[in-house]
Amino acid sequence: MFDLVYNTIFFASYGNFYGLSNITLSLFDVLLAYIVTIIVSILVALLLRMPLLPSKPYRYSFDVSAMYPTPIIAVGVFSIFLVLNYTFMYNGIVLAIVIGILSALFVKYLFDFVFPKPLDEGKGEDIK
Amino acid sequence: MNEVIGIIIAAILCWLNFVIVDTYFGLPEQPGVRGARIIGENVEKRGGDIAGGFFQGNIVCSPDASAGTLIASIGYLLLGIPGGIIAAFLVFMGNRLCADPGYAGTVGSLTATIIIFICSFVGFTPEMFIVGMVIAILTVQGIDHKRASIVLGKIAEKFNRHA
Repeated sequence: MFDLVYNTIFFASYGNFYGLSNITLSLFDVLLAYIVTIIVSILVALLLRMPLLPSKPYRYSFDVSAMYPTPIIAVGVFSIFLVLNYTFMYNGIVLAIVIGILSALFVKYLFDFVFPKPLDEGKGEDIK
Repeated sequence: MNEVIGIIIAAILCWLNFVIVDTYFGLPEQPGVRGARIIGENVEKRGGDIAGGFFQGNIVCSPDASAGTLIASIGYLLLGIPGGIIAAFLVFMGNRLCADPGYAGTVGSLTATIIIFICSFVGFTPEMFIVGMVIAILTVQGIDHKRASIVLGKIAEKFNRHA
């Protein structure tokens, strides 16, 4: 009657279920989904009150910001979904928005825990 | 396109890509970790340039634009343009694990993906870029550390990034 597992998998793999995965996904759709991922991740990161750019000097800064690691993580994860042929519905736009939000949340709350800054930042490599 | 000519041109393109990106993001300026400083000072002791030595040490100690170009060409061979972007993501994670901010690696692999995409219209294949990148790293790290570091030091001076 109500098969939770079946319904969940059916809903989650809506596009893939009948082998229709990427047939409707044209190059323009992929490009649009990438742009949506980048814009959503930057906007959510700004809403979470992260700075737009890393602190100065830019080239040696380990700080997270809206412009630097957030879009990279978002497009990387979205590419993994894309090559696995898992684009969900509405030509991948929904997936792009979800990944953008999740990557911004990851960078804000979990990034320093997963990738901690080096202990001797600021003093270079000379600390003993 | 003839394979040998393609590999030679791809090697030159890869060399320019990773040296320019790495130099712009300041690899010759200072060593990121202690191992890079030791390599740089050793190269200088043998008559090389200190900036080029730091450049070579930083390449050894963390994945920068050189590794980014190589992994991006492999990703492009396997998965197309998304493969190149996944390569940038993986290089970024590797950079953060190696106490490196990661700007050079991610930018290098993204520019390498763009270069391979543009060159694919002329008849280049990603395989040529893989072989070309191996040759390009060989010229920097494998043949002669002293002369390679002097050349890299001159390039670093032009970019105003000398140590």
